[in-house]
Amino acid sequence: MPDTLRHYLIIAVPLLIVMAVLPSVYSNHLLLFNFVIFFILAQGVNIIYGFTGYLPFGYVGFFGAGAYGFAIMVMHLNAPAPLAVLVGGAVAVVLGLILTPLLRLAGAYFSIANLAAALAVLHLVANPALEQITKGPYGVALNGTFNPTMAYAGGILILALTLGIVVYLKNSSFGLALQAVREDSFSASMSGVNVVKMRTVAWLASALVAGLAGGVFAWYVSVFYPDNVFSADFSIFAIVFALFGGVATISGPLIGVIILYGIYNLIGFTTPQYFQLIYGLLIMALVLFLPAGLVSLATRRGWYVP
Amino acid sequence: MLYPLVAGVLFGLYFSLVGIGLNLVFGVMRIVNLAHGDFLMLGAFVAFGIYTAAGLDPLVGIPVAFALFCVAGLLLYWVLVPRLQRARDPEMLSFILFFGFSQVIEALTTIVFGTSERSIPSRQLASSLAGIRASLFGGEATNGPFRIFGLSFPASWVVAATVSVIAIICVYLYLYRTRLGTLTRAVMSRRDEAVATGINVDRVSAAAFGIGLGLAAVAGVFAPFMFGSFTPAFGIDATVTSFVVVVLGSLGNPLGTALGGVVYGVSYMLVQTYLSSWADLLPYVLLIAILLLRPSGLLGRRVRVA
Amino acid sequence: MSPEPERLLEVSGVVKRFGGFHALDGLSFHVSPGEILGLVGPNGSGKTTAINVISGLYAPDAGSVSFLRSPVGGMASHKLVHLGINRTFQVPKPFMSLTVKQNVEVAHTYGNASDKALPMADLLERFHLAEVANRPASDLTNVQQKTLDLVRALATQPKLLLLDELAAGLNPTELDWIAGEIKTLAQSGLAIIVVEHLMGFIEQITDRVIVMNAGKEIFEGTLAVAVTVPEVVEVFLGGEHAA
Repeated sequence: MPDTLRHYLIIAVPLLIVMAVLPSVYSNHLLLFNFVIFFILAQGVNIIYGFTGYLPFGYVGFFGAGAYGFAIMVMHLNAPAPLAVLVGGAVAVVLGLILTPLLRLAGAYFSIANLAAALAVLHLVANPALEQITKGPYGVALNGTFNPTMAYAGGILILALTLGIVVYLKNSSFGLALQAVREDSFSASMSGVNVVKMRTVAWLASALVAGLAGGVFAWYVSVFYPDNVFSADFSIFAIVFALFGGVATISGPLIGVIILYGIYNLIGFTTPQYFQLIYGLLIMALVLFLPAGLVSLATRRGWYVP
Repeated sequence: MLYPLVAGVLFGLYFSLVGIGLNLVFGVMRIVNLAHGDFLMLGAFVAFGIYTAAGLDPLVGIPVAFALFCVAGLLLYWVLVPRLQRARDPEMLSFILFFGFSQVIEALTTIVFGTSERSIPSRQLASSLAGIRASLFGGEATNGPFRIFGLSFPASWVVAATVSVIAIICVYLYLYRTRLGTLTRAVMSRRDEAVATGINVDRVSAAAFGIGLGLAAVAGVFAPFMFGSFTPAFGIDATVTSFVVVVLGSLGNPLGTALGGVVYGVSYMLVQTYLSSWADLLPYVLLIAILLLRPSGLLGRRVRVA
Repeated sequence: MSPEPERLLEVSGVVKRFGGFHALDGLSFHVSPGEILGLVGPNGSGKTTAINVISGLYAPDAGSVSFLRSPVGGMASHKLVHLGINRTFQVPKPFMSLTVKQNVEVAHTYGNASDKALPMADLLERFHLAEVANRPASDLTNVQQKTLDLVRALATQPKLLLLDELAAGLNPTELDWIAGEIKTLAQSGLAIIVVEHLMGFIEQITDRVIVMNAGKEIFEGTLAVAVTVPEVVEVFLGGEHAA
C-alpha cells in the first residue's frame, strides 16, 4: 500500500533518525530520552483512545507495571536488561488482559475504573507487606544494568514498533474497523466486525508499548520509587499531548509532544505551580476551543493529515 | 468490632456529603467533575480562613462556603458548560476539561497559600455549640469527645456526621419538595424528553451545578478535622474517594450516595482495623468491583423515582 | 399449486423479557427468499424487539430462531452478518466521523456474506451517495444517513434484510423510489422484513404481513385481508393508524 510506505518515509523514519542522532549533538541525554518515552506513551494513548474511543486515565498503570516487571527480573533473576524489558512489556500485557472486563464500561465509567486500577496496582507494588518482592515503598536500585546509551537505543526501537503499529492502524482496514467500533459498536457488529476481539487487541497493543516503555525507563533511570513510575503525570501528559496534536492521526500525538513537552521544558521545573497553572489553562482552552486537536485546523479546511 | 462499626458509620455519613455534589452534577448534566475534590479543598481553606483570620468557629464556614461556591458554580456553569454540551462527546471532554480546571485551582491555591500542610485544632469545631450541648446533656461546656455505646469518639466526627445528615435531608427536600427539584429529577431521568417538553434545562443544570459545588465546599469545611490536615494537593484524593462513594451508591442517584458513603465508611474502618496495610487498596478495588459487578450501584437505577 | 417455498428464517415461540415485561411473548413467523414481509402493529407490540432478537442484539429467553435451517438464536451479531442477516436502524447509526466510502468499506471488508464480488461504486451510485462518498457521514442529511445505513447493510450482501422504519421521514418521491429499490432487491432473491408505520408503503411493497400485538402475532396474510379481521381492526382502533 503506497500510503503506508509514504507515512513511514515522511513521518516515522525521519523522527527515528533525528531521535537516534540527537544525543551526539545535544548534551541533555535525559531530556531526549524523556521525549522518546512521551512519543511512545502519546502514541499508545492514540492507539486506545484515538482509534477505539476508550480514554485510559490510568494508562500509567501499564508503564509502572513494565518498570517493575523489569526491576523484578533484574533483582531476583539477574536477567539481562533487554530480556527484562521484554518481560516488562509482557507484564503490562498480562495486566491488560486482567483489565479487559473494564472495556465493557462505557465512557467516563471506563476512565474512572482505569484510574482506580492504576492506583490499585501502585498501592499493591508500594505495599510494605510485599517488600521481599517489590521493595515496597522504599524503591528499587538496579546498579548492575545501568547503561543509559543502550537503554536509549532500546527506547528508539520501541518507538519504531509503536510508530509501526500506528501507521498500520491508520492505513489498514483493521484500523478503520476500530474507528467504526469507536463511533457505534452495534453498527460495527452489524458490519461484521467482531467488536470484543478488535478492541481487546487494540487495548493489549496499547498496554504492550506502555509496558515496554516502562521497562526501558527503569533500565535508563535504574533508581526509582513506586511514586515515580506510577505518577499520574505520565497518564495525563500522554493524554494531553495526544489530544493537543489530534488523535486518530499519526502526526498529531507527535506534534503534541514536540510542542507541549518542549514548552514544559522551556518553562522549567523551578516553579512547578506556575507551570501547572499554564498547563491547566491550556487543557481547558484545548477542550473548549480545539477539541479535535491542532490537526483539526487543517482537516477543517479539507486537508488530509496523515 | 463495635468501634470500627460506629466510626465507619460516622465517617460514612461524612463521605456521603463528600460525594453527593459530584453525583448531583453527573446525574443532571452527565458531566464528570474531576475538580470536585478541589472545591472540597477550597472549602477547607474557607474554614481555615474563618478560624485564623476571624477567630470564629469553623462551623460558621458552612453557610459562607455554601453561598460562596453556589454562586461560583452558577457563574462557572454559564462560562463552561453550554460550550461543552455543543461538542460531540461532552461526557469525555468534560472529564478532560475539569481535569484542567482542577490543575488550575490547585496551582492557584499553591501560589497563594504555599504547599505546607494546614490543620485546625479539632476543639475549635462547634466550639460555639459547646455551651448548648452542656446544657442539654450536662457535663462541662467544652468540646470533649462524644460517648456512643460506651466508646468515645472525637466530637468533630459526630458534628460532621450530623451536618452531613442534615445536608442530605436538604438535598432530598430540594429534589422532592420544590418545583426546581422536581424538574431536576425529570432532567436526570430523561434529558431528551425534558428538553422536548420545554423544561429550561440550562436553569436546572446551573442550579444543580451551584448546589453541587456548594455541597463539596461544605464537606470541605470538615476536611481538616476528618483527615487531620490538608494541602492544596489534597483535591485529587478527595475526588477519587468521592467517585468510590458515588459509584457504590449508583451514579446519577444522589440519595443512593448516602448508602454508598456508609458502606464505604464501614468497610474502610474495618479494613483499617484488621488489615491496615491493605487499607489503601480498598477504595480502588471496591470501585472496580462495583463497576463490573453492579454498574448501577448498590441501589440500582430502578429505585430512583422518576 | 406450487410447493411451499423454502423457508429462510423461521421464528418460533420466541419470548423476550425485560424485567417483568414480556416484549415478545411467543412470537412465531417465517419468511422465504425473495419475499417482502411486513411487520405491523401498534407501538410497543414488539416489532423492533423482534428485529433486535433476529439481528443478535438480544438473545431470546425462550423459543427458537433458525436461519437456513440452523439455530441462530443468541448468536453474536457479527456472526449473523457473516451468515447473511443484516438490518438498518430506526435512527440511522452510521460511523459519523468516517467518510461515506469508509462506512461502506468497513461492512464490505468485514461483513461480506457472499463469495461474489460487489462493485461498491455501483452501490453508492445507485443509492445517490456517490457525490458525497468522500464526505464524513456526519455531514449527511437524515435521509442520506438512512440510505447510507441501507447501503452499509447491502455491502455485506445479505440473504435476509431487516428494515426498521426505513420509510419514516421520506418525502413521497423518495418513498416511491425506495419502494422500487426494495422490490428490485427482493426480485434478486433477497428476503426482506419491513417494520413500518406507513400503511400505504406497506401495502405498496409487501407480499404478506404479520400483525403483532403484545409480543405475538395475531394475524398472518395480506394487508387487504388483515383490515377485514375484527381482532386486527380492534388492535388498531383508536390508534393513529386505524385502517
